[in-house]
Amino acid sequence: MIEQFCDWLSRTNVSVAFQSADWFVPLVQTVHIIAIAILLTSVYVLSFRLIGLTRGAQSLATLSAKSTPWFWTALCVLLVSGTLLTITEPARELLNWAFRVKMLMVLTLAGVLWMVQLRMRQNPEYWTESPARRHAARAVGLVAVIVGAGIVTAGRWIAYV
Amino acid sequence: MAVEQALTWLQDLNFPTQIRESVWLFPTIETVHVFALVLVVGSIMTVDLRLLGLANRERPFSELAREMLPWTWVAFAVAAVAGLLMFSSKALIYYGNIPFRIKMCCLLLAGINMALFHWLGTRHLETWDRKQPPKPAKFAGGASLLLWTTIVAAGRWIGFTT
Repeated sequence: MIEQFCDWLSRTNVSVAFQSADWFVPLVQTVHIIAIAILLTSVYVLSFRLIGLTRGAQSLATLSAKSTPWFWTALCVLLVSGTLLTITEPARELLNWAFRVKMLMVLTLAGVLWMVQLRMRQNPEYWTESPARRHAARAVGLVAVIVGAGIVTAGRWIAYV
Repeated sequence: MAVEQALTWLQDLNFPTQIRESVWLFPTIETVHVFALVLVVGSIMTVDLRLLGLANRERPFSELAREMLPWTWVAFAVAAVAGLLMFSSKALIYYGNIPFRIKMCCLLLAGINMALFHWLGTRHLETWDRKQPPKPAKFAGGASLLLWTTIVAAGRWIGFTT
């Protein structure tokens, strides 16, 4: 089923046009990497604060509010550029387990960040108001750090598996 | 040529040979390189966008730089070590590769730009720390943004030309 879809997609005019332009994949991958750079940096700066590994002049709630638009904008760019790469080489992406793991981790990270930001919008002190919440913040931050690294790892291994 | 002899000697060393011949070693080192590089680029871009007045305008520049630059340096050290290991495994091929040379030239220029900004651009920082930076500082931020984007693009192009 997926194989047939990949075969159909790779024969469409759009896919053939993308495949025939030598510059297209490297260019879109460059945009993709820069979007990952913005996304991962915003996630790591916030996560390290949640874990308690760094301190900053801004409050956690302010930092979260500032990083929110960067995270979601970068995620949109990632999804658009990722879709273009998938249209160009459907089988390379959709039939690859590393790609599927990457997508699962992107969804996980988006869910975690959405939850962190939502809680802080409702209550700016949410993650710091009790020892239990501080423990939860550390756990959530750690998950975001690991999943963020996992996204880069799975993304790179798409080329090798 | 002396350079080619030196590169042949380098890539024939034990560990570079292992990297070249292993199925998983090169992709693993490359993953570390990409992971560190995206943190370098992301942290530098945060500072560059502040210099250009496009983000974090309300924050003092010195405060933002103090928070972001440790990320840059730690990630850069990791990216450099991983990059050197990758280079050592196919030194002759990379040496002759045009995108690789462009990447290295841009890295050098980005380093010079950063050093010049550090020595000259921050001389009167107290006068603009909380405001729009002066034109030379904006130029340094724009140049850095352009150079790092080229470094990423050239780095990606290496994979399509080796």
